Amino acid sequence: MDGVRRAFAVVGWHAQGYRHTWRGTVTVSFLNPVFFLLSIGVLLGRLIDSRHPQLGGLDYLQFVAPALLATTAMQTAASLSTFPVLAGLKWLRTYQAVVATPVRVPELVAGLLAWTGARVLFSVSVFAAIAAVGGAFTSAYAALAALAALLCGLAFAAAITAFSARLENANWLAPVFRFVLLPLFLFSGTFFPLSRLPEWIRPLAWATPLWHGVSLCRDIATGRAAALPTAVHVLYLVALAAVGVTVAVRTCERRLLS
Amino acid sequence: MAARAGSVRTVSEELLIEAQALTKRYGEFVAVDGIDFGVRKGETFGFLGPNGAGKSSTMRMIGAVSPPSAGTLRVFGRDPATDGPAIRERLGVVPQEDNLDLELDVAENLLVYGRFFGLPRNVIRRRTDELLDFVQLAERRDSRVDSLSGGMKRRLTIARALVNEPELMLLDEPTTGLDPQARHALWDRLYRLKQRGVTLVLTTHYMDEAEQLCDRLVIMDRARIVAEGSPRELIARFVEAEVVELRFAVQNGVAAELEGIGRVEVLPDRIVIGAEDGDAALDAVHARGLHPDSSLVRRSTLEDVFLTLTGRSLVD
Repeated sequence: MDGVRRAFAVVGWHAQGYRHTWRGTVTVSFLNPVFFLLSIGVLLGRLIDSRHPQLGGLDYLQFVAPALLATTAMQTAASLSTFPVLAGLKWLRTYQAVVATPVRVPELVAGLLAWTGARVLFSVSVFAAIAAVGGAFTSAYAALAALAALLCGLAFAAAITAFSARLENANWLAPVFRFVLLPLFLFSGTFFPLSRLPEWIRPLAWATPLWHGVSLCRDIATGRAAALPTAVHVLYLVALAAVGVTVAVRTCERRLLS
Repeated sequence: MAARAGSVRTVSEELLIEAQALTKRYGEFVAVDGIDFGVRKGETFGFLGPNGAGKSSTMRMIGAVSPPSAGTLRVFGRDPATDGPAIRERLGVVPQEDNLDLELDVAENLLVYGRFFGLPRNVIRRRTDELLDFVQLAERRDSRVDSLSGGMKRRLTIARALVNEPELMLLDEPTTGLDPQARHALWDRLYRLKQRGVTLVLTTHYMDEAEQLCDRLVIMDRARIVAEGSPRELIARFVEAEVVELRFAVQNGVAAELEGIGRVEVLPDRIVIGAEDGDAALDAVHARGLHPDSSLVRRSTLEDVFLTLTGRSLVD
């Protein structure tokens, strides 16, 4: 399959660049879980009564760690789907160089997302390993939760790439981080169960992708995944990824092949 | 390298590019307005014209990254709209603005690019040595692209475009923005490619570039082709052999007094007289009691052809 081979060449391009920059991001991948699990999972968690019924019999560290897998995936995906996409389309025009070769736009987008997926998988794996060492998981299914986090990351990567591809400059990126991704991070059931929110606002949380990612990771990591909710979470994230990919490809085609 | 053995250059009758009534519109704006041209295998073909004449739009259509709005276009006998990857596989593209990956080093840029063409790593490595020698960047092999000068980046872009051994190279304004020394270094490399039999298609708004490199060219103005031929033919067909350039402190009214000496064109900063014998024409100017601040007799160039055809100069 020439198309698959060309998509992998795009992955190879990013891997080549990563050889120059991996030290910083790998350090972040290791420190991020240590900081979060220690400060929120352990130190804050000790103040929280683990017999609280809304925690469902988990201690707070076990409650929050799987959710942080999903948020880590979202954040890694966001960092790779914003500024780098603008650089490729606009600032350095490297995507223009790519489509002058036999590589087609869908292959370019597939390669970008595959690379982002690889980076997400790495950061959530490191997170899961450190969390496991810290006793945050009670079930061996936690390894599967890393894959659920990967799905969450890919859904965000596709959607954010589609958004970034429409931008003419970076002015819109800071508001997106501050007013979209940060609230998602805080209010998607990551740090407290959604049942803490007023009833009328809960449907809004159910509509957001991170809630599905968080719930999926938590259900799987604690060995409590029931068929129907799991199917809904997976379908939601797959649908978001599919819409994101479609829009990203169309937008990039409009910009690169005008 | 994209070379046949030896350096015997032949231009065949085989057309690598054929365009009929080729048109590109962006909304209401017509960038390319129904142009016809053909590029033969082995020749160096130029699009000469001012900025905004439609040269880059034409190049992007040939490069199969911009679908024509109307007309027909065939590259290697194929339709860019449906056979993009197959066409681009045989092209080397040097875009108007460099789009190298600045975070990678020189050799890595070639490696990554070669992979887009599906070339094995060892093949790319071998070609990298040859190509960096060819563009005189061998000793910068491990430098980050960031640290290269403008001329070096341009030469690296050319090396990158050659990594797939293209049969046809598209060069959009290859020397715009370079200092004279870097331009001459680049022309020298392009001339060597031409000697090796690579078909070159370039756009330029420098008439000296077109004269030096092109076997045949079209002059474009306002989305249309206004003339076609070799540089020599175009000069012979449209202008006199020589030109006198006159600059006056006050230019108003002078043109009327020059009537009959030759073909007079009045530009904002100077008056240009086309004549078969430039020295005789200048003598005639003096004989009429006119004393220009400066005067220059020179051979006619493509610039004069453009001026004659459009009434404007190429570079504003």
